[in-house]
Amino acid sequence: MIETFFKAGTLNTPAAFLASLLIGIAFGVALEKAGFGSSRRLAGIFYFRDMTVLKVMFTAVVFAMLGICYARAFGLVTLDNVYFLHTVYGAQIVGGLIFGAGFVMSGWCPGTGAVGLASGKIDALVFLLGAVGGSMLYNELHPILAPIFTGDRGVVFAYETFGVSEARFAFSFTVIAVLCFWGSEYVEKKRQGRGHLWGTPFLAVFSALLIVAASGLFAVEGYEKKPAPRRAMPEKESIPLQAVQAAPYHMGPQDLADHLLAGDPSLTLVDMRTPEEFEQFHIRGARNIPMEDLPEALLPHKNRGLIVLYSNGMTLPAQVRDTLFRLGFQNVSLLSLTSFRNACLKPVSLRSEPVPPETAAKINAWRAFFLTPVLPDV
Amino acid sequence: MEENATPQAKTSKPLMNPYVAGIFLGSTLLAAYLILGTGLGASGAIARLGAHLELQLAPARTLASDYFGRWGDQPLKHYLVFMMGGVFLGGLVSALLGKRCAVKIERGAKCPTQKRLLFALSGGILAGFAARLANGCTSGQALSGSALLLTGSLLFLICMFGGGYLTAWFVRGQWND
Repeated sequence: MIETFFKAGTLNTPAAFLASLLIGIAFGVALEKAGFGSSRRLAGIFYFRDMTVLKVMFTAVVFAMLGICYARAFGLVTLDNVYFLHTVYGAQIVGGLIFGAGFVMSGWCPGTGAVGLASGKIDALVFLLGAVGGSMLYNELHPILAPIFTGDRGVVFAYETFGVSEARFAFSFTVIAVLCFWGSEYVEKKRQGRGHLWGTPFLAVFSALLIVAASGLFAVEGYEKKPAPRRAMPEKESIPLQAVQAAPYHMGPQDLADHLLAGDPSLTLVDMRTPEEFEQFHIRGARNIPMEDLPEALLPHKNRGLIVLYSNGMTLPAQVRDTLFRLGFQNVSLLSLTSFRNACLKPVSLRSEPVPPETAAKINAWRAFFLTPVLPDV
Repeated sequence: MEENATPQAKTSKPLMNPYVAGIFLGSTLLAAYLILGTGLGASGAIARLGAHLELQLAPARTLASDYFGRWGDQPLKHYLVFMMGGVFLGGLVSALLGKRCAVKIERGAKCPTQKRLLFALSGGILAGFAARLANGCTSGQALSGSALLLTGSLLFLICMFGGGYLTAWFVRGQWND
């Protein structure tokens, strides 16, 4: 399995800078070779004159989407390896509309503007200077705008919004893209007589390949949810409501310690105590999230893997777990920090009960892992 | 045909098939997700350049500002800035090899230079502003976010084309030949 720079928290290191530079070079070559060093071609889509933008963008989106779906299905990458942009309806609607207006006025967008500048276009340079100014303008207006465009919905997937399965949405999306390709070729043929790919075997084969690849998603659907040997905790993912209210389930401290020690990526550990207490000590790998932000912050992990809430006692995590359950989270488990300390971190020498040698070795491993000071995030 | 409109067209090499270019771009995006764990981005680097310039002029004010302030005193030390440097380099090499590099102002033959540059500047200001508001541009939201099927990013993509088509008629004059 891959560990990304984002997951490792090393996006700010020279290695990540070098990787970004190389990826940027490929990005620039792709844009230039598509003909996006020309503002006239870029603006062409808005006059149904040249549909290259739509063809290239939709192909790229569908290709990457299929790639990510398959990479996930075959366990090459997990969701926590990827940074997901949050959905903020107002900001993205208004921002999108204004951005589109700027795009058609200038004939550029930031990435293509850089390619245009590299191609010697003075209008691209002027566009980029304007965009720097526009960013500064936003910085000035941010105190006024931020209170208007609140409502961060966290990570929201369109298939959740539409209430369909991921495979079905991705398949429909691919079909729409293919229809757009044929529509674009037809429009160009009608308008310019240059839709030279309309009805060609190339476009037919290309369309068929995309549809077949998207259909394959139905076959691998649920593949990644098959219990893997170590992260399997299926019985905890479907707790009936009565069970939740009657006898709050909690993950045993030793089990949790073993999973954390093994670096189980499917675990999300949340510290419910105050930031001061968190600062003093927390279980390695835990996140301290303010109560009101919890539903949003945990959304990417909703019914994926296991979320463990802990506090000094069990009362607070239990209440929050019930609230989360009502919001549809069925994978929340509880832990008391006190019992975790007693079970895992108490030195063997201080224990009153006899400790078998293998347990003693485990305790020492846990102590070494959890009591080593971890450098704070930068 | 458009290629004949510029004197460059006779010497420049043909472009890539748009669908092949799309696969190329999509592979790059996929590589970004599998290696970096983030998508592609361009407007972030432009904004960080803005923050850098403001820091040179008024360091204390910039560091205290709401938005730029959170990027600290070295806003250019960021992976997106290196990515954007790569975009320029890749674009330069590809444009030179394809003989598509020429210093010019791209516009319709009947459009005055000042008008075209004014549109480019105004469009740049709007795009730069909107990319901060929406937390991404064509690269970060419309391309990278949509590939992850994120609701907000798909909405941005739709609104971007909506805003473009609504405005297109008013600014069509710059492409008149």
